[in-house]
Amino acid sequence: MRHAVRRSPKTTQKNASTSKTASRTAARAAGAVLALALVGATAACGGNGSDDASGGATTIDYWLWDDNQTASYQACADAFHAANPKITVKITQTAWNEYWQNLTTQLASGSAPDVWTDQASYYPQFATSNQILDIQSYVDRDKVDLSQYQNGLADLWVKDGKRYGLPQDWDTMALVYNTTLLSRQGIDASALTHLTWNPDDGGTLEQTIAKATVDSHGRNGLDPAFDKNHVKVYGFLPEWADGSQGQNGWGVLAAGNGFSFVDKNPWGTHYNYDDPKLAATIDWFKHLIDKGYAPKFDAQSTLGRDAVMDAGQGAITLAGSWTINSYLSPTAKQKYAFAPLPVGPAGRKTPINGLSDAIYAGTKHKEQAWSWVKFLGSSACQDLVAKNAVVFPAIKEASAKALAAHRAKGQDAHVFTDEAAAPGGTFFLPVTDHGNEISQTVQDAIQSVILGKSDAASALKKANDTVNAMFQ
Amino acid sequence: MAWAILIAAVVVTVFPFYWMVRTALTPAGDLFADSHALWPHHPTLINFERVLGMTSSEQNRAAGGSGAQINFLWYTLNSIIYSGVIAIAQTFFCAMAGYAFARLRFPYRDAIFGVLVAALMVPPIFTLLPNFTMVKNLGLMNTFAGLVAPSVLMTPFAVFFLRQFFLSIPREVEEAAVLDGVGRWGAFWRIIVPMSRGPLITIGLTTTVWAWKDYLWPLLVGRGEHTRVLTVALGVFLQQSPNTQPDWTGLMAGSTLSVLPVLVLLVLLGKRLVQSLNFSGIK
Amino acid sequence: MSALTGWTSSRTAAARRDGRLAGSRRPRRPRDDRRIAPLFIAPVLIGFAVFYVYPTVRGVWYSMTDYSLLTSPSYVGGDNYSQLLHDDQFWNSLKVTAYYVGINIVSQTVLALGLAALMHRLTRSAVLRATLLLPWLVPNVTVGLLWAWLLDANLGFANHLLHAMGMGTVSFYSPNWAMPSVALVNTWAYTGYTALLLYAGMLQIPQELYESAVVDGAGEFRMFRRITLPLLRPILALVLVVSLIGSFQIFDTVAVVYRGSPIPETRVIYFYIYQQAFTFFHMGYASAVAMVLVVVLGLLTFVQLRLLRASRSDLG
Repeated sequence: MRHAVRRSPKTTQKNASTSKTASRTAARAAGAVLALALVGATAACGGNGSDDASGGATTIDYWLWDDNQTASYQACADAFHAANPKITVKITQTAWNEYWQNLTTQLASGSAPDVWTDQASYYPQFATSNQILDIQSYVDRDKVDLSQYQNGLADLWVKDGKRYGLPQDWDTMALVYNTTLLSRQGIDASALTHLTWNPDDGGTLEQTIAKATVDSHGRNGLDPAFDKNHVKVYGFLPEWADGSQGQNGWGVLAAGNGFSFVDKNPWGTHYNYDDPKLAATIDWFKHLIDKGYAPKFDAQSTLGRDAVMDAGQGAITLAGSWTINSYLSPTAKQKYAFAPLPVGPAGRKTPINGLSDAIYAGTKHKEQAWSWVKFLGSSACQDLVAKNAVVFPAIKEASAKALAAHRAKGQDAHVFTDEAAAPGGTFFLPVTDHGNEISQTVQDAIQSVILGKSDAASALKKANDTVNAMFQ
Repeated sequence: MAWAILIAAVVVTVFPFYWMVRTALTPAGDLFADSHALWPHHPTLINFERVLGMTSSEQNRAAGGSGAQINFLWYTLNSIIYSGVIAIAQTFFCAMAGYAFARLRFPYRDAIFGVLVAALMVPPIFTLLPNFTMVKNLGLMNTFAGLVAPSVLMTPFAVFFLRQFFLSIPREVEEAAVLDGVGRWGAFWRIIVPMSRGPLITIGLTTTVWAWKDYLWPLLVGRGEHTRVLTVALGVFLQQSPNTQPDWTGLMAGSTLSVLPVLVLLVLLGKRLVQSLNFSGIK
Repeated sequence: MSALTGWTSSRTAAARRDGRLAGSRRPRRPRDDRRIAPLFIAPVLIGFAVFYVYPTVRGVWYSMTDYSLLTSPSYVGGDNYSQLLHDDQFWNSLKVTAYYVGINIVSQTVLALGLAALMHRLTRSAVLRATLLLPWLVPNVTVGLLWAWLLDANLGFANHLLHAMGMGTVSFYSPNWAMPSVALVNTWAYTGYTALLLYAGMLQIPQELYESAVVDGAGEFRMFRRITLPLLRPILALVLVVSLIGSFQIFDTVAVVYRGSPIPETRVIYFYIYQQAFTFFHMGYASAVAMVLVVVLGLLTFVQLRLLRASRSDLG
């Protein structure tokens, strides 16, 4: 195939230039192109077709986006193949930005991978348009124990009694801080384990942030002479490109303030972005910026918060458990540690979020795809994932093993598992239709507040009306 | 004065490129702390080694990148085939058509040409899905035939470009040849093509670079190991999840290496371009 | 479209006149090439029909349907188009794109024309040419990331330089500066390429014209205005048309800098189409937006070619 393609244009050109009978050569050139296409077609048929389910060997195509996890799932695929020699799993990894377009294009043309890693904001669309196989009957038949997973995770993937996946992993949020910068300001690490927060005076969280903020003369944010126009280290780095859920910032504190996103989760149909508790939370963030404790919206780094943290220009921010390896890496330029989220008026609340594996409804290998998904959701695979200490697997015991694996690497990540285990300490991010459109609408509204273009209450009210109109 | 402008242009052009190379030479851990230094404090080749697959994935992780490594030489070869086939075939076919639209007389010529050029305005995103479905239905997924299919015969730009150049060639030169009995075909090959070496090389180079940089189409159609091109392979250094950073140093090293082959081509063919013009283009 | 063909055929007509004058003593040959012409254009027409016409027709059809990409399209007539009229996001994207195109086209064309002229008249070093083309060789995504890095408000080298020169911080990617910044980034990326096309056009200009102009005592600026510009017109027109169309399709730089969620001030039309199609799953609506883009580009190209023809003043 490779040769055919490489050679033919050259030959056609040579023919053309030497030939005397012009028309015949032109015809030959056109013929060569056609031949090229045909050769390609036959080659593709030979090389690409995976055999049918009838007893022979099968290849299952499995897609994921996170390269950091490819190794873990390759290990699972190898173990799976060893146990089921007739099934081979082929893993394809695509960077996040193209993953969904790629998947959608394949789905639209009627060919998708047999199994793909699914995510909460895209999954409703796939489920609603019947692209994902309902696995409830398989789960019943094979008696998969759904209680082995972190509480509630399995139910996120159910709609109207149909089950669209088994949970793969989970993540929670925590504070991350630069230990050097904080101790330089005389802030004790132990003080960070029980911070409080409320939208009125910001609680001890705001005190800590103020103290951690340092201007170019070395004065901290509590100093009356503090110069908010020349800040060297910001006490807190908020995230504003955070969609409709605020997973990395406002959503976490709003939940601690008693805000709940949606009437029912998953599959709610009425959002509550007009809740004053949310507006108060956003106002508090704005106040943080006005005080000079956090960068202005238009002066924030486009490189992301962790870049500013690494440059030593930020003291505290929020981080998800997926960042453990980058913050606690031995090559990291700054020394970091994690602390639990502050306790808000409604308690300490962390979103808990996870991925699942979806089976393509049009797959030719339903049984084989199911056995792979079942394997991915079993402790046999999740223990392997745990060993690599990249994410926390969905199975509770495997999570504990992942924590131990982190500890063995000298990384203290217990904050994340403690939060996940705390009764009433977690909430699920909303899973509803129109997720991506809502994300854009709400993000725009919140950014306009932070930019000072409108006030929180009216911007959020307007956004909420737009959002709820999508469900009409 | 003119030289000063030229030098300034070169500096502005090259500095960001230099920054790319500099970043590629920086250890991932120093990236942000070192962001203002003109030269990294601890220069390293580890990122290039990672791209070239000379390290294990444990070493990669230790170097602060993702576990990614790529089979660079293999993907470069694929890129060369992909862009080479497209550049040569497309230039060839579009030159024929460009000549016809510039010189030959046939019914509806200008109308056909107008429609063709109008296709310049159709956004590629519009044609992506139907083309993908077609290539898939033809069974050409993960083949070079499928990869090159949409652009191997033509792009409206190449036809437009070459026609404009052929228009500027004096008509008498070719009329004489036609009268000598070589016919239109002979005149095209013996007169027009040699006289137009400059534009032909230019469009060939341009097409090569576009194909070399092409990302979305090869990503959709040619993901398989045998047909994966360099840009698609470099995707492993991009942002891996919505909340993470790209692997900056790996990406910059990969991009630097990916520029080199076309740069060599440009310098080599660029020299020939000037020679051929001095030789024949200017009478 | 008539403008396109009208403009081009008037060139051909001029050439034809010349040819007839020169060849008046020769016997007439058949005035028509209809037998051989199909051979010349067949491959191109096949490719065109299969990979341009067919998908475009499909796209037009999608634009009149409700199509989520994942379920089959259902016909809705002109609904998508009437919805467009009241869509603030769409109008915003048009405005943002126009702003970008305005800056980008002017800066890119002026710089490229200057560089091409310098390369043409000053030195023909292939190394220099390759150097100026360097930015164009860098993969698009890398261009976006590289400049996100250089222009960053906190960590970027550009702001470091500004500080060193005693100036304050410029937030290049903040709402006010974002589009000019993106336009300049792409000017960086594509000026070399545009200059190359123009340079190739300049090389077609007969050298004697310059030589005789020098004998007449003309300076470089005068020669540029009186010789280079007028004779470059076919190529200049092509370059302008192509850059205009190309810059309307700005996407990568914006998507990359804002990590997939650009602020409203940078939500260009191509991003909007992409988002509607692949993030919101409104392929029908996205196709309607794309159709509007096609019409806008058609009109602009028409106007552009009209204007270029009006300023016609050939020397030879």
